[in-house]
Amino acid sequence: MSDAAKVVPIARGRRGAKRPRAMPGPGALERRVRELERELEAERSSQGSESLLVALARALSSGARGLDWASLGRLQRALYFAWHSEQTDEYGADPRFAEALEPLVEFLYAVWWRVETTGVENLPSRGPGLVVANHSGVLPYDGMMVQLAIRHEHPARRLCRMLALDMFALLPGLAPILAKSGSVRASPENAERLLRAGELLGVFPEGVKGVGKMFRERYQLARFGRGGFVRVALRTGTPLIPCAVVGAEEIHPVVARADWLGRPFGLPYFPLTPTFPWLGPLGLVPLPTKWSIDFGEPIDLSEHGPAGAEDPILVNRIAEEVRATLQRMVDGRLARRRSIWFG
Amino acid sequence: MQRVAITGTASFLGGRLLRRVVAARGASAVVAIDVAPPPTTLHGVRHRMVDLTLPGADRRLVEVFREEQVDTVFHAAFFTTPRRDTSYAHELESIGTLHLAAAAAAAGVRHLVLRSFTAVYGARGQNPSFLTEERKPEAGARLPWLRDKAEAEEHAFSFSRRYPGLGVTVLRFAPLLGPGVHTFYTRLFSRRVLPVLFGYDPLLQLLHPDDALDAAVLALEHDPAQVVNVVPRASITLLTALHLSEKVTVPVLHPVAYPLAELWWASGVGEAPSGFVDFARFPFVADGEKARRAYAFEARYTSREALESFLAFRYPASRRPGAERAVGEPALAEAVEAGEAGA
Repeated sequence: MSDAAKVVPIARGRRGAKRPRAMPGPGALERRVRELERELEAERSSQGSESLLVALARALSSGARGLDWASLGRLQRALYFAWHSEQTDEYGADPRFAEALEPLVEFLYAVWWRVETTGVENLPSRGPGLVVANHSGVLPYDGMMVQLAIRHEHPARRLCRMLALDMFALLPGLAPILAKSGSVRASPENAERLLRAGELLGVFPEGVKGVGKMFRERYQLARFGRGGFVRVALRTGTPLIPCAVVGAEEIHPVVARADWLGRPFGLPYFPLTPTFPWLGPLGLVPLPTKWSIDFGEPIDLSEHGPAGAEDPILVNRIAEEVRATLQRMVDGRLARRRSIWFG
Repeated sequence: MQRVAITGTASFLGGRLLRRVVAARGASAVVAIDVAPPPTTLHGVRHRMVDLTLPGADRRLVEVFREEQVDTVFHAAFFTTPRRDTSYAHELESIGTLHLAAAAAAAGVRHLVLRSFTAVYGARGQNPSFLTEERKPEAGARLPWLRDKAEAEEHAFSFSRRYPGLGVTVLRFAPLLGPGVHTFYTRLFSRRVLPVLFGYDPLLQLLHPDDALDAAVLALEHDPAQVVNVVPRASITLLTALHLSEKVTVPVLHPVAYPLAELWWASGVGEAPSGFVDFARFPFVADGEKARRAYAFEARYTSREALESFLAFRYPASRRPGAERAVGEPALAEAVEAGEAGA
C-alpha cells in the first residue's frame, strides 16, 4: 500500500467518523478488517466474473442506450474471461482456456481420430521426462493429441508441455492457443529450465522438415535437427521417452508445395493438399484417419553424465539411435495396420 | 561523510528514491542532481544543477562528486516514454551516461547504479520464456529509445572495465505501473479504446513502483552486481490486463499494424513509433532469480496487483463505471480507521 493511502484514513478519523460498535480490542478489529476485505474481494470477483450470458442480456436489453464504450468494454471483458483465467502460470498456460478447448480436443481424440494409446506406463509419474515424437500433419494436431493422451491415460494426469516450433509459436491466432494450452517455444533455455523444474516435456526433433513432409515421404523420419534435445537431456539427466504417432501423417496429404505463397505470411512452407486451398476453409478439415500413439521404453542417458553434452559425436550418435528406435516403432505399427481409416 | 548522488530527481523513480533515501538516512546523506530542483517538501536536500547534455558536463560532475564526497551514484535520468526529439534523448541518455561514468571514474566514485529497462532485451519471437541477465541487449535496436538505453549500459560497463575502482550495477526494471507513474503504459491504460494485434496475446510484466524502489534501495546497499533484473512476482497476458481494465480492444492484423502505427506516430497522434508494436506481439519477460540471490529481493506485488493499484488510482471508485462496488468500500475504510485509532 502506498504512503498516501495509509494517511487518508487517519485524516478522516480526525473529522470524527462514526465508529462501529464500542471500541473492541485491536485483535478483534484486525479480524473485522480482514473479514470485510474478504467480503469485498468476494463481491468484486462475483462482479468481475459476471457471466457471459448476463453481460450479453444486459447489452441487448439496454439496446442503443447501452451502446457506449464502457458497456462495450464490460461486454468484451465478459467475453474474454468466459474462456480465459485471470491468471496464467509463469509460462502462460491457462487452465480455464484448456478446459474450454477440451471438448474440441477430446472430440478429435475420441471420435474423429479414435486415438489408441499404448505404453503410458513408460512415462515417469514424477520428475522430468522428455517425450520424443515424430512430427507430421501440417498443423500441430499431433502435439495436442500426445498432450491429451498423457493427460487422460497416465495415472498421474500430468501436463506434458510441448516445445512448439517457431512457425507455430509465432503464428498469429495459433500462438496464444499453444501458449495457453501449455506449450512453450522450442528453445534450449526453455527446455532446460522446465526439465530442471521437473516437468514433463514433449519435443518433435524433426522440426519443420517433419511437419511439412510430402505425402510420398510419410513415415520416413527426417533428420533430428542438430541434436539439441539430446544435449538438454544429457545436461539435466532426463530420460527420453520415444513416442510414435501413426495416423497423423495422412490427415493432410501434401501432394505439392507452393512455398513462395507462404513467404508473405512468414510461413516456411505452403502445403497443397487435395482439399486445400481449393475448398477454402473446408480444406482445413483434417481427414478422419485412425491414430495410434505408442510410448516406448525410456532411454536412460545418465551413464554419460552432463559432460556428454559437450561431446558432439556422442550427441549425434544418441540422436541417431533415438531416431532409429522411433523409426522401428513407427514401422512396427505400420506393418500391423490394415487400413488408414480403421487401423 | 560519504553521500549518495541521485540524478534525474525530477523523474518519478528518481524523485521517489530521493524521498526514500532521505527518510532512511537523512537529508544530509544525499545530493540531488537534475536540471530541475527537487520537490520543495524535501527540506534540506542538497541540489546541484547539472545539465548532462552540455559538453562540459563531465568536468562539472567531477567537481560536484568531489565537493559533495559522493561514493555512490544512482543514475535515473532516463526517458520512460519515447520522444519525438530523438537527438535530445540520445544526448541525455547515451552521451549523458558517458559523461556521468567518466566523471564517476575520475572522482573515485565506488558504485554507479544505472536505471535500465527489461525492454532493452527487445521483444522478439525468439526470446526464451525467461530472459536472464546473461542475454545481451538487442544490438542495433531499430528503436532509438532502446538503442540509447543499451548504449548507456555499455558506456557504464566500459568505464567499469577500464577503471576497476568503479563498480557498476544495472537494474533492468520491468515496465512500471502503479499510482503516480506516468509512462507510455499508463497512457495506454488510461484510454478507452485500444488497438491490439490480432492473434497475439504475449505475457507482460508490470512492476509496482514500491517494488522498484525496494530494489533500488537494496542495490544502493549492496556491492556492485552488474546486471540485475527487477521483475514482479507474476506476469499477466496483455489481453488479460486490457480486459481487466475493461478496455475496448480493436484487433488489427500485424502486417497492417506496423505501417499504421508509424503513420499514427508521424502524424503526431500516436504514443509510440512502430517498433513498439513488437512489445504487443512478443514477450520480453525477464527472470528475477538473480535479484533473489544477490539481494534477497522478492517482489511484493504481482503484475495484476500492480495493474489494479494503477486502475484504483486512475479511476477512483466514485468515478468508475460500475460504481455499485463502492458500497463495500466505506465500511472497510471505517474499519481501518477504527483499527488505526485503536492501535
